[in-house]
This record gives sequence, C-alpha cells and structure tokens, in this order.
Amino acid sequence: MLAAMGRIAPLRGYAAALAAVVLVSVVIGVIEARAQVANISMLYLMAVLGAATRLGRGPAIAASIASFLAFNWFFVEPTHTLSVGDPKEWFALVLFLVTAVITSQLAADQRDRAREAADRARDATLMFEVARVLGEPDLETALASVTERLRQGLGVAGVMVELEGDGVPRRTIAGDASALDGADVGSLAAWIPSPRSATGAGARWIRVMNAHGTGTAPRDDRVHAAPLQAGGRRIGTLAIVRASPQPRTADDRILTSVATQLAGAIERSRLRQRATEAEILRRTDELKNALLGAVSHDLRTPLASIVASAGSLRQTDVRWTEAERESFLSDIETEARRLSRIVSNLLDLSRMESGTLHPERSWYDVAALIDDVVGRLRPLTQDHPVEVRVPEDFPPVSLDYVEIDQVLSNLIENAARHTRPGSAIVISAQIAGAEAVIEVSDDGPGIPNDALDRVFEPFFRGPSGGTPRGTGLGLAVARGLVEAHGGRISVRNRAEGGAVFRFTLPMEQPARARAPAVTP
Amino acid sequence: MSPATGARILLVDDEPAIVRAVRANLGSRGFRVEVAGSGSEALERAESHPDLILLDLGLPDLDGLDLIRALRGRGRAPIIVLSARGAERDKVRALDLGADDYLTKPFGVEELLARIRVALRHTLQSGTDEPVFRNRGLTVDIEHRRVTVDDEELHLTPTEYALLTALVRHADRVVTDSMLLQEVWGPEYGDEDHYLHVYVARLRKKLEQDPQKPRYIATEPGVGYRLLTEEA
Repeated sequence: MLAAMGRIAPLRGYAAALAAVVLVSVVIGVIEARAQVANISMLYLMAVLGAATRLGRGPAIAASIASFLAFNWFFVEPTHTLSVGDPKEWFALVLFLVTAVITSQLAADQRDRAREAADRARDATLMFEVARVLGEPDLETALASVTERLRQGLGVAGVMVELEGDGVPRRTIAGDASALDGADVGSLAAWIPSPRSATGAGARWIRVMNAHGTGTAPRDDRVHAAPLQAGGRRIGTLAIVRASPQPRTADDRILTSVATQLAGAIERSRLRQRATEAEILRRTDELKNALLGAVSHDLRTPLASIVASAGSLRQTDVRWTEAERESFLSDIETEARRLSRIVSNLLDLSRMESGTLHPERSWYDVAALIDDVVGRLRPLTQDHPVEVRVPEDFPPVSLDYVEIDQVLSNLIENAARHTRPGSAIVISAQIAGAEAVIEVSDDGPGIPNDALDRVFEPFFRGPSGGTPRGTGLGLAVARGLVEAHGGRISVRNRAEGGAVFRFTLPMEQPARARAPAVTP
Repeated sequence: MSPATGARILLVDDEPAIVRAVRANLGSRGFRVEVAGSGSEALERAESHPDLILLDLGLPDLDGLDLIRALRGRGRAPIIVLSARGAERDKVRALDLGADDYLTKPFGVEELLARIRVALRHTLQSGTDEPVFRNRGLTVDIEHRRVTVDDEELHLTPTEYALLTALVRHADRVVTDSMLLQEVWGPEYGDEDHYLHVYVARLRKKLEQDPQKPRYIATEPGVGYRLLTEEA
C-alpha cells in the first residue's frame, strides 16, 4: 500500500492534500452549523496526518499551511478575512500550525522508515534468492535464474548480464532489454568508479532513448548498470532496464550487492571449469602414457609371436613336420585374434574417453543374452564349468545388446583367465528394487584387498600368478559401458573364496507401457 | 560343397593383403575374381554383371552406403559387406539398403566361403518357395501352418510363427531387426519394436534344446538374427 501510494506523482500529491483540507473544512462547517464544539480545528490534524502518511513530507506541510489558512478564513471571527480579532485566537492558531507541522514531520518519518523496512525486506528476500540460485553448478542456468528473479523482484522491464570473455561478449537477458540492443553496455559502465573507490557507488543511472519503443510514442527507458568485478578486473556488466522514468535509490544498493555476488559466482564457476579442464588434460595425459606402455607390452607380445612363427615357416633349410607347421599357423591365428581383441578394447576405451558412447537400447531377454555370450565364449571357458542362474519370469531389460554382450564377455573372460582350470564360473541375474543385478562369480583366488578399488582402472593388472596376461583393458571397458547405461559395476571377494563382479542396469518402464506377455 | 564353379565375384577392397588372400582362396576354389580398388572402379566393373559382390565399406573415394545404393540400382547380384567390428550401425544400414549379408573383419576363410555359398544359392533359388522347409529336425509346413522339432509339434503364437517363417525365408542369411519388424508387423509397425528381441527369445526357448548352443536361430549381435541350416 505504502509503496503503491509512493509512486503518486508529486503534483497529484499536493492536490490530494488540498482536497483533504477542503473536505475537512466542509465537515467542520456542517458540524459548526448545528453545535459549538471546542477545539474543532483538531479535525484538520486528520488531514495533515493523512497527507503525511500517504503522500509524504511536502504535501503534509502544504496541508498544515492550508489548514491554518482555511480555519482562519472560514471559522475564526471575523470570518472570510485572514485578520484575527482576538489575540488569544492568534495564539491558538499559531499553536495549531506548529502542532500540525511537527505531527506531519513525525508521521512522514514513520512513513519513510516503514517504506525503507519494506524495501530492505524485499532486498533481503531477493538477495537470498539470488544467492540460492547462484548455487546452481551450471553457470548458464544460474544466470538465467538470477536475471529472472531480479526482474520480478525489482519489478523492472528487463535485466541483462553481459559477460566479457574471449571474443564476443555473451548476454543473458530476462524480460525486455531491447533498450540495450546494440548498445555497448561495457563502455556505458566503463566510467563507473570501482566499488573499491572512495565513493563506493558501483551503479549509476544512464538514460537511454529507445528509438523503437512500443506503441506510437518512443519509450523513455532508463538503464541502470553496475560493473561485475573479480580480482580487480572487470569481467562483465549487470544492467536493468526500467520503463518508468522513476529511479529508486534502493536499486543502487541491491544492484551493487547482486553485482558483487554475481561476479564471485562467475569467477568461481570459471575457476571450476579451468580446474576440470586441467583434470581432463591430466587424465588424458595419463591415459596416453598408459596407452604407450600397453602398446609396447601387450601389442609386442603377440606381434613377436606372429613374426617368429611366420619367419619359421619361411625357413628353407629346415624341414618342418606337418604338426610343427600346424602349430606355427595356429599360433599366428590365435595371436592375431588376440591383437584384434586388444585393438577392439582400445577403440572402445577411446570412445568412452571421448564421451561418444551412446547405448542404442532395446528390450532384451537377459537369459537369452547370457546364454548367447556363454555359448560364444565356450572356446575360452572350456576348462571351466559355467552355470547360468536366471529366474524364469525375469522381465525384459532395456539395453544395448552389443555393449552389454561386451561387458559380460569381458567379465567371463576375466574369470576364466584368473582361475585354475576346473573352477566354476556362475552367472546370475536378479531384480533388486528398480535395477537388474547381474553377477559373474568365480571360486578362484579372489582379488587382493588393496587392488579391489583399482581393478577397473585402465591398464591395471593384478599380480599374475602364472596366469596368462590380459590386456588390462577389459574391466575398464566394462565399467565404461555399464556407466553409459546408467548402471554401476563393482567387485567383492566372497568369504568362501573367489571374486564376484556385479553390475546393475536400471529397470525402466517400457516407454509405451504394455507387457509383451499379453500380446500373442 | 559344390561351388557354382566359374561364378564371377567382384571384390571391392583397397587393402592389398586382403585382396591377395581372398583372390588366392576363391581362385583356388574355381571362382573367377575381379578386383576393384575404389568405389568408382566398382561401379564400372559392376556393369559387366558379376554373380556376387564382396564390398568393403571403408573405401577411399565413395561412401560405402552410397555405393550399395548405386549398385542396387544396377543389378540384383548379391552383395556381401566387409566391415570392422564396432561398425554395427553401418552394417545394419548396409543390409537395410539391400546388401545380402556381412562379414566382420578379421574373418576366416571358412566363414567367407560359407557366406558366398549361401548368397549364390539364394540367387539360384529365388522365386521357388518350397511349401515345407526341412532342416536338421526342424520342419516348417507353410501350407498347414505346422512346426515340428524332431517330429514333435510345437505350439507357437501367431507372432512367433510369423517370426520363424520370416527367418526361414532368409535361411542362412542375416535378417536385421527392421527387416523382421517389416515382415512380421508390416510397414506400420509401432509398439512392437520394443519387444522384437523378447519375442525372438521366446521362440528360441521353444525351439532350442541347448540355449547356449543354438541349432536354429543365431544372434548377430547388434545386427539381427540368422536361421542356421546344415548347408552353410
């Protein structure tokens, strides 16, 4: 209410004050015609108080003086003159004027304080909201929220944040900031003294005539801009566009504090991004080093064996038996296939690192998938009994067949490689909450506790107890593929011995919910 | 094991080692092999109507998929696509564009010969729809809508039956997901694509004795399914 009345233009305030005085005069006239009432002039104080609380200081003083004159004119003998017969009446009149002026000023003070309190409450709420939305990890989203909150909170036409950076400044706009179209906001705010300077003022009103205002008349927009500073450097500008020409002093304060908060948030976000980039670079570097290591170790071993076998076959001075020839040839083929698997895993890993892995999901029967994989890996697992445990009524799961096939293959291959011939491998699936849980367990030696966390890292290798070396990539690839599906992968040792690799896949509802069981 | 001796095979590949190996193996088995090292050369040579085309998808000059489209516009010779693992999407697109089968590099000679035999057999047989399909204990009697495995009748739902007959029509050749959907549910298939694999899994459960060693329906990971016969 106060705020609404406060926007009444000054002239209208004075007119309203005078109208109140006229109204009170009429009321007094009506009462005087019927009965003598002592100190009836006090009624004018109502008009003065009203003017003070509703209209402000100036109109209140105008009302005081008008009341003084009106009472004198209409009701003090001789009436209809400004002269006063009785000196005692003079004293009463002057006393009235003094009382009216003092009262009006007290009331106006009260009004100002109430207004300021309301403004501060609004500012506090706004600041709180701004601080809250600035907590958003994504800077773009945070800026969009902050500009919108500010626009609503300040009741202005538009809010804009312009960030200077490499190249073109980027603008985030809420509402209508067309007044700033093409304007060099950065240079508008350039002359503004730094918040650290003696004046402390960080924001200024800048008037911008808008050439393409709405309707017929050009709009008289005003732009209020505050610089965003971090580390003594300007990183951008915060600007508000107010369609009404009435500036508010409170805006200065809030704009300055929002600008400070914003600058801090932007700087933090940039530092965070830089740290992430540095981390990515560091990890890429580590990966590259590890990759070089793997290339020299893992790729050379099969290559050496291929070159040796092929070279042997070409020897002209030795007569190989048929069995010897066959063994050379089989070595060449086995090692070449192993090379092919290593290259596949390397490709998968690089696709994961570059983030270009997008599972192409469809609904699959998990038991059929496990059976397929187990069947295909038979040559690798022929020394191990393999058992598959999947409940009859296991629901279809949405997954990328090729990728989950790869995950299972890598886990089974891993189990077969690290356990003694004859030890069993069990693959089971069950539902736990909203997830399908698939486990590959073996009864081999298990994994040393200090290695449990690291087995999924690329190129990590457990102690090789005389078992053939793997590529050091299978488990890393499995983790990447499972995570691309929104699942998790982990490993634990069983109390009775052996390792259990476990991965989860989220069970979503079919997009178009219809159980396949009901359709023939 | 009697290859259509003298069949002319156009090998489109730019890798000399592969060309040498394929040429030697096919040549020694009575095939006549022509080689094209680029897409444009392949289009030129295709004018003389080879009996079969072996096509590497990664050619230096032309996109493999565009080449399939162009080749399909010139003749009906079966096309077998050669491509690397991890390029499942390309294989599926190649098959959907009209390629007949595929081989994943690196492939063995046996695999290559088997695919070529199947593809050539189908060219000769096209149009002759046998009323009863018989293979290693599986019979599908189209006329009477009867399916038996080792003389035991199976009760299939209409969807399962439709899937099986679609696979039988393309016996030994890969059938992509979208081909199956088209043949079973028609061009307007909708919700069913979510469950295609679930239906196939059910069909296999009824058909196969050992799900880990399927006799009849093999999964081609990421591409589709293949009905296996003893000839292949």
